[in-house]
Amino acid sequence: MKLRLCLYLAAISAVLLAALPSHTARRPRYGGTLRVELGATVSSLDPKVAAANPEEANAKAELDALLYDHRGDDGAFVGAAGSGAFRVSEWDAGKRAVFAANENYREGRPFVDSVEMQMGRSAHDRVLDLELNKTDFAQIPAEQARQAADHGVRVSTSQPNELLALVFLRAGPGTETARVREAISRSIDRTAIVNFILQKEGEPAGGLLPQWSSGTAFLFSTQAAVHNAKEIQAQISTSPKLVLGYDSADTLEQTVAERIVVNAKEAGISLTSRVIPSKPAHGTDIRPGDAVHVDARLIRLRMPSPLPNVSLAAFIDKLGPMAGIVDSPLPESASPEDIYYCERSIMNSGLVVPIVWMPQVYGISARVRDWKQPAAGETWPLADVWLDSTDAH
Amino acid sequence: MTFRSKLFVNFMLALLLSVALVTAGVTVATRRAFDELNRQHTDALVEQFQREFDRRGHDVLHRVQGIAEAEPTVRMAIDLSRPNADISVYVNDAHGVAQSHQLDFLDFVGTDGSIISSAEWSARFGYKMEWVTQKEDWASRGSFLMRLDTQEGPALALMAVAAVRVGDKDLYVVGGERLGKEFLASLVLPENMRALLYLNLDTAFQPANVIDSAGSVAEAERFEPIIERERAHPSALTEKINWTFDAASGEIFHAIPKLGRQNELLGVLLIGNSQRTVVTLERHILWLAIGVAAIGILFGLFLSWWAAARVTLPVRKLAAGAREVSDGNWNTRVAVRGNDEIGQLAQSFNQMTQELVDQRERLIQAERVAAWREVARRLAHELKNPLFPLQTTVENLQRASTQNPDQFEEVFRESTGILLAEIENLKTIVGRFSDFAKMPQPELGPVDLNDIVRNVVKLFEAQFCAVGRPPITPELHLGENLPTIQADNTLLHRAIENLVLNAMDAMPAGGILMMRTAQNNGNVDFEISDTGVGLTREEADRIFTPYYTTKQHGTGLGLAIVQAIVADHSGRISVESEMGVGTAFHLELPVKPPHHPNQTAPVVVAQDEKKEED
Repeated sequence: MKLRLCLYLAAISAVLLAALPSHTARRPRYGGTLRVELGATVSSLDPKVAAANPEEANAKAELDALLYDHRGDDGAFVGAAGSGAFRVSEWDAGKRAVFAANENYREGRPFVDSVEMQMGRSAHDRVLDLELNKTDFAQIPAEQARQAADHGVRVSTSQPNELLALVFLRAGPGTETARVREAISRSIDRTAIVNFILQKEGEPAGGLLPQWSSGTAFLFSTQAAVHNAKEIQAQISTSPKLVLGYDSADTLEQTVAERIVVNAKEAGISLTSRVIPSKPAHGTDIRPGDAVHVDARLIRLRMPSPLPNVSLAAFIDKLGPMAGIVDSPLPESASPEDIYYCERSIMNSGLVVPIVWMPQVYGISARVRDWKQPAAGETWPLADVWLDSTDAH
Repeated sequence: MTFRSKLFVNFMLALLLSVALVTAGVTVATRRAFDELNRQHTDALVEQFQREFDRRGHDVLHRVQGIAEAEPTVRMAIDLSRPNADISVYVNDAHGVAQSHQLDFLDFVGTDGSIISSAEWSARFGYKMEWVTQKEDWASRGSFLMRLDTQEGPALALMAVAAVRVGDKDLYVVGGERLGKEFLASLVLPENMRALLYLNLDTAFQPANVIDSAGSVAEAERFEPIIERERAHPSALTEKINWTFDAASGEIFHAIPKLGRQNELLGVLLIGNSQRTVVTLERHILWLAIGVAAIGILFGLFLSWWAAARVTLPVRKLAAGAREVSDGNWNTRVAVRGNDEIGQLAQSFNQMTQELVDQRERLIQAERVAAWREVARRLAHELKNPLFPLQTTVENLQRASTQNPDQFEEVFRESTGILLAEIENLKTIVGRFSDFAKMPQPELGPVDLNDIVRNVVKLFEAQFCAVGRPPITPELHLGENLPTIQADNTLLHRAIENLVLNAMDAMPAGGILMMRTAQNNGNVDFEISDTGVGLTREEADRIFTPYYTTKQHGTGLGLAIVQAIVADHSGRISVESEMGVGTAFHLELPVKPPHHPNQTAPVVVAQDEKKEED
C-alpha cells in the first residue's frame, strides 16, 4: 500500500514536473541565432560616419553596444571594434548584418552564437513577423502594442520614457501669441490621444518629466479645457493662422497632429497640419525660415536617463535652440524642487506643450529567455538573452 | 438711266428681296430645328444624369447597408452595447472597411452620436455627429446629398446611413461617396457635352468650387450669374455663355440644383452643350443657302436682263423711231407686234409719223403755191414797170403814125430808143432770175477768206466815198493766222459782195461797216455788221426768203443767194438786228466741208427753178 502510494506520488510528481513551464525549469544554454529586425537602416558601423536620421542614430547606438566594450564619459561607445560581446560576421549596409559571438569578451561569451539583423523593416512587417514567429526580437510602435498582443505577440513594455511634445518654433513676442499657444495647449484632449491613438499605451503628459521619474508630474494639468480655450480665443483680436508640422516618416506624429488640429478647430483656433521632411540625426531640427514654413512642430524626446535632472537638462539642450528657451543649466545636485521650478518655468513659457508619454515596446518571441526591459538610456541587453531550444523556430 | 436699266434694277431688287427672305427663312427654320434637337439631346442627358445619380445613391445605400450587416460590424455593435465598452479598439476600423467597400467616407457612430471611427478624418474620433441620432428612418430615407467637413475642407458627398441595433443601443454606419471630379469623370457624355459641378460650400460664389472631371475650370467666374440665380431660387434653368466673340465658342448650360436633406442648395450640376457643331452646321447651311442664292441671283440677273431687254425692245424701237423723226426722217416706221399696249403705242406712232408726212406734204404743197404766187407777184411787179413804158411807147408810135406822120420819124426814133432801153431792163430782170436759178455747184479749192474780204472792200472803196452820198467807213478786224478753207473763191466773193451791197443799202445816211474774221473750233467765222436802220423781227425771220425784200427796187434774191452759197459750203448763216442800231450777219464756214451739199432750205426754190428749166 505504501509502495503503491509512493508510486502514485512519484507519478504525480513526474506529471507535475512535466507540467511546469519549461523556461522556469530550464537553465541558460549557449547557441542559436537571435533574429532581430530593425526599422531603421544603418549605412555604416564606422563611428566617424554620422547617421542620416535619429532612427538610424538610435539603431546604430544599439549595434555599437553589441560591438564595443563600454561607453565613455560622453556616453559614446569606446574600445576597438569587436571588443564587445559580438563581432561583425557579415555586413550588407542598410539591409542585413550578422554578428558572431565574441568568444573572448571580457564579460564572458554571450549565450547566442550569433545575432542576425534585418534592417529597414516597417513596423507592420515587424509585427507580422513577430506574429508569424519569423523573428525573435523587434521594437514595435507603442500604438500597435495592444493589437500585437491581441494577436499573440509577446510584448515587453517599458515605463513611459519618450515624450511627444508640441514645440512652437521661436514664437514671436507679445501676449497675443502667448495666449494662442495657451489656447492650443488647453484645447488638446491628451487622454483621447492616449486612449485612441496610442491604444492606452502611454500617459497624458503635462510636464517635461514623467511621474515615475520626477514625482511632480501630477502638478501639471493634462485635462482638456475646450471652454477655456474658446474663451481665450475669443479674447484674441486677430487670431493668426498657424501651421503645425510633423515628420513625414512618422505616422504617429501625423495622427497626433491631425487630432490636435481637430481639437484646435473645435476651440475656434485656425491651425492646420503640414508634413515636413524627416529631421536630421544631428542638429536642431527644423527652424523658422526653413523651406517648409511651420509655426510649430511635433517632436519626440526620449529620456537619456531615469534621472530627472539629466533628462530635463537633455531636453532643454534640445528644445532650447528650437523654441528659444533660455534657462540656466541644472546642476547635477539639483533638488527635486529645483527641477520642478525649472520644468514649471518652461511650461509657463508655453513654448513647449507636452502631449503624451510613450513607452518603448518590444516584441519578443517565445524562445527568447532572460529578456530584461532596458531602463531609460540603456541599450538592448541582447548579450544576456539565450534561446530556448524547445521553441525552435 | 434708261427704261431698260430701271426695269432691270427693279427686277433685281425684287429678286434680291425674295432671295433674302428665303435665305432668312431657311436659316431661322434651321436654327429652330437645331435648337429643338439640342434641347432634346440635353434633356436626355439630364435624365441620364438623374438616373446615374439615383443609381449611385442606391449603390451607396447598398454598400453602407452591406457594411452594417457584415459580421465585424455586428460584433462591434454587440461589443459596444456592453457597459463600459472600450471603443478605442475600433478607432482605426473605418479606414479599412471604407477601402474594402470603395467608399470615400465612412464613419462608425455610437448611439450617442460620438464618432467611434472615421475613415475620411481619423482624428475626429470622439466628436459628435448628432444629426445621425435624430429620429429618422434611415432605411427608407435612402441616399442623400450632404456637406461634410474633411481635413482638406468641406466636401459634397452622396451619403447613406444604416443603423445596427443591439438591445437599446444603435451603431450607425455613415458612408458615402465624394461628389466631385471622380463622379463627373464617371459620367458618359456625348461629344461636345461636358458636365460641371458647382460645390455650394461657401457663403458666396467661389470660382474654385466649379469643377469638372479634370478638376478646376478655367474662367469659372463666368458661371457666377447662373450660380447666384440658383442660390436665390433653386430651379432648373438654361443659360448660354459665349466664351469668345465667336458664336461657335458658345455653350448652353443647363443648371440642375442638387438639394440636401433639408432642401438646402448643396450643389449645382451644369450640363454644358457646346454650340460649335451646331454653329458650324448652321454656317455650312447658311453658306450653302448663300451659294444657292448667289446662283439664283446670277440666274435672275440673266433672266432680268433678258426680260428687261425683251420688254423694252418695242419701247426702244419706238424711241429710236422718235429720234429718227426728230432728225427729220419722217418716213420712219416701227414694226407692230401684238395688240398689247406696246403694240397699240407702235401703231399710234406709225399713224402719227404718217400724219406728219402727210402734213409736211401738204405744207410743202402750200409753200410751193405760196412761192409761186410770190414769184408771180414779183414777176408781175418787176415786169409791170418796163411793160408800161413799152405799151405807152408802142401806143405813142401808133398814134404818131396815124395822127402825125410827119413826126413819126422822130417819134419812132425816140420810141425805139425807149423800147430798147426797157427791153434791156426786161433782160436784166430775167437775167437776175436766171442767175438765181442757175446757181453753180461750188468748185472747192484753198481760199484765204481774209483776201476775199480785202478784195471786196477794195472793189467797193470808190462807192464808199462816192460824191453825193454820205460816206461809209469800213472797219476790218481780220484774224491773224486764219487757216485757208476749202471753198469756191468766186461764190464766196459773190456772197460777201451781196452782203456788202445789202449793208450799203441799209445805210443810206452812211455809217460804219465792220467786217471781222476769226478761227473758231475748226471753222472760220465771218461777221459783217452795219449801223443802218435795222430790221424788224418779222423782217429778220424772212430775210433769207427768195424774192422777199424790204427795198423799193430789190429783187429779194441777194441774201437768198448768200444763204444758198453758205449752205453749199456746209456752213451756217444767221442774222441779228435791232431797229435803229444796225444789223449783223454771222457766217460760219468749215475749213473742210464734209461733203458736197446740194440740199439746203432755199434749194426748194432752186430745185423748182431747175425743174422749170428742165
